[in-house]
Amino acid sequence: MVLSLNGLPEEILHTILCYCHPCSAAALERTARQFRHVTNQPVLWRFYCRYHFTYWDARHDMPQKLVNPISDVDWKGLYVSRYLIDRGISHLLDSILRGQTGRIDKFRAVISYGYDAKDTIIRNLSPDPATDDHLARRYYAKALLTCLHRSIAVPEWARLRNGEAVALERALGAFDLFIPESGYGSLNEITDKLDEVTEQLFSCSPEIHECTPRDKAKTIAEYLRSNNLTGIETDRQYHCLEHNFLGIALKDPQHNSLPLVSAAIYCYVARKLGLNAWPCGFPFHVHVIVKPQSGFDIDGNVLGFGMQGNPIYMDPFRSDEETPIMNLQNQLNYLGASTTEQLTFLGESQTSETVLRCSKNILNSVQRMPQFSDGQLTPVDVVSAKYAALWSAMLLSDISRPAEFRHRLPWLMELFATEFPSDIYLIEEYMVPLFRGMLEYEHILESLHVMRAVDEIPKQMKRRSSDPYSVRYRIGQVFRHRRYDYVAIISGWDTECDAGEQWMRRMGIDRLQGGRHQSFYHVLVEDGTVRYVAEENVELIAPHVSELPQTLIAIAGKHFKRWDGVNRSFVSNIRDEYPDD
Amino acid sequence: MSSSNPTLVFMSSDGVEITVDRDVAERSLLIKNMLEDLGETGEAIPIPNVNEAVLKKVIEWCAHHKNDPASTGDDDDSRRKTTDIDEWDQKFMQVDQEMLFEIILAANYLDIKGLLDVGCKTVANMIKGKSPEEIRKTFNIQNDFTPEEEDQIRRENEWAEE
Repeated sequence: MVLSLNGLPEEILHTILCYCHPCSAAALERTARQFRHVTNQPVLWRFYCRYHFTYWDARHDMPQKLVNPISDVDWKGLYVSRYLIDRGISHLLDSILRGQTGRIDKFRAVISYGYDAKDTIIRNLSPDPATDDHLARRYYAKALLTCLHRSIAVPEWARLRNGEAVALERALGAFDLFIPESGYGSLNEITDKLDEVTEQLFSCSPEIHECTPRDKAKTIAEYLRSNNLTGIETDRQYHCLEHNFLGIALKDPQHNSLPLVSAAIYCYVARKLGLNAWPCGFPFHVHVIVKPQSGFDIDGNVLGFGMQGNPIYMDPFRSDEETPIMNLQNQLNYLGASTTEQLTFLGESQTSETVLRCSKNILNSVQRMPQFSDGQLTPVDVVSAKYAALWSAMLLSDISRPAEFRHRLPWLMELFATEFPSDIYLIEEYMVPLFRGMLEYEHILESLHVMRAVDEIPKQMKRRSSDPYSVRYRIGQVFRHRRYDYVAIISGWDTECDAGEQWMRRMGIDRLQGGRHQSFYHVLVEDGTVRYVAEENVELIAPHVSELPQTLIAIAGKHFKRWDGVNRSFVSNIRDEYPDD
Repeated sequence: MSSSNPTLVFMSSDGVEITVDRDVAERSLLIKNMLEDLGETGEAIPIPNVNEAVLKKVIEWCAHHKNDPASTGDDDDSRRKTTDIDEWDQKFMQVDQEMLFEIILAANYLDIKGLLDVGCKTVANMIKGKSPEEIRKTFNIQNDFTPEEEDQIRRENEWAEE
């Protein structure tokens, strides 16, 4: 008999199958009886699961599955279900890219797969530049990924609002999930980093478990500060936006963080090492309060059953030493705090209060951004940071003080509508119910309804008339604004000004040479904004791709497939609306 | 024979003696371990199961790859990467199917991980993208399913068809 595939031992067939796509294993199974066994080995399908997919939704409990006996899991079934999800998501993304209609529900469908969607999305994040629609693919994959991360973050704050217990590091880590540049995709990644810090501390000071609580508290502060894990270096702006984020502080080599974040790091490590440590709501500067175990004092001496010893205060942001309570009280007296207020300020902060404080700090940092003239560019996307702060502030604000609440709503709704429209179902699920019974309720519902209607109704086609001069420029062309000098892409046109009368008056449209009866263009600007420009202000440039601002290329994907190097313009992905361009 | 380049003698299954540089022969972990355990006896080393033609091919591969970094023994199967094969290896593997499978079996027996991988990748590439019928044709496999069985397995694997 001639040696062939069926003459190989199963272990070699297994190796061959590991180099094959799982679909080929399925095809081989169908050829003859003798391959049924090797193509159905759980170990093969477990390999396929791990090799072809990196991210698994928590519902699979993958870490547990991987340590359980291999036969406990239907690995082939699991692979097949993931494969079908992957294929479904690919189809959804293709469909999002093909036309502008019905995108909201398609986004929703992708996100509803939870973390299982992530592998497919990431694969589309850096498409082959030869792909026909690579700019659009990258743009919408990024929009999906950030939306997925936000849909993990928002429910954490919602749980907190409902009075459920949410660990401080998860509630603060949720801010990082809003920031694409943080590199975090799940809250566990942040907890893992904190666990690493704790383990390193323990391996440096293994005797710490025998210390009294007071000495423990000091040892932890010393360790964190000597390893730069808390505080801010002297040459840094205190209010830099990135200092507000727990995950970023842990990942950054310099670990710069505001007192609140430093305190959160300290508290996590301290609690892991057996201390009862919480952020303390002291004004202007978050401290840490460490309480002794009931029946003992902070030095470990017995006090008697049920007796509560005095706490100590730590300031891991700037000191290894404990802060005497007298100092804190003096400061409070100086501020004129009443005795009851003092009790609150010196007590432990609830997690929701700490999160709220963090969101205020972020908004504060965003406001101060223009003051930083030293050219320190923040690695954090400002719009995303602001969006995170508004979400958390809205979800955790005291409903009994609706003024603050109401005042932030338009901000949030505007950001959502212009920058994050894919979040509509997050708004519907978590924001709308907060306003039930309030004046704004109907308004919000109405604006969401309009957004959905616009999304669901196919775009009205705008055809070019036979007169070639009625609208001179085309979708995808790049121009410089004659008066404001910015670079932008044409993403829509009207044969005459189509904005409301009020807008035209405010903008002085009738003072233009051509007035309101000239073509007007919707344009995508390099700073990410969308504007409406009169034809007389458009000065076409025919740039080389290397001359285009990177920011422009990044947002171009919203309406364009790719750059056309011959015509030196972007290729339209909105031909359902402008079929002749 | 210079002492800087010691040689060994292999005896193929069909009784042919082949002289091999020791560093080339040691690409085979089986031979390497044997030499470490037993030392050099000066006698020809019998390689049962591998005939002269196949053994020569295997030695050719080992000679070309004698300076490759030793395999790390990292067998974590989740990290196995591409089915890309470098150009020389691709040419080397352009042999008839029987020779290909003989090389794979020899590489397995002699414990030459790199060669075994190249062989397995070559076969994987021959399976890639093919339908069951095409696979049968490629490897001359007899369909021994009853029509009912065939239908059932097809349904079980419907997910794999686009």
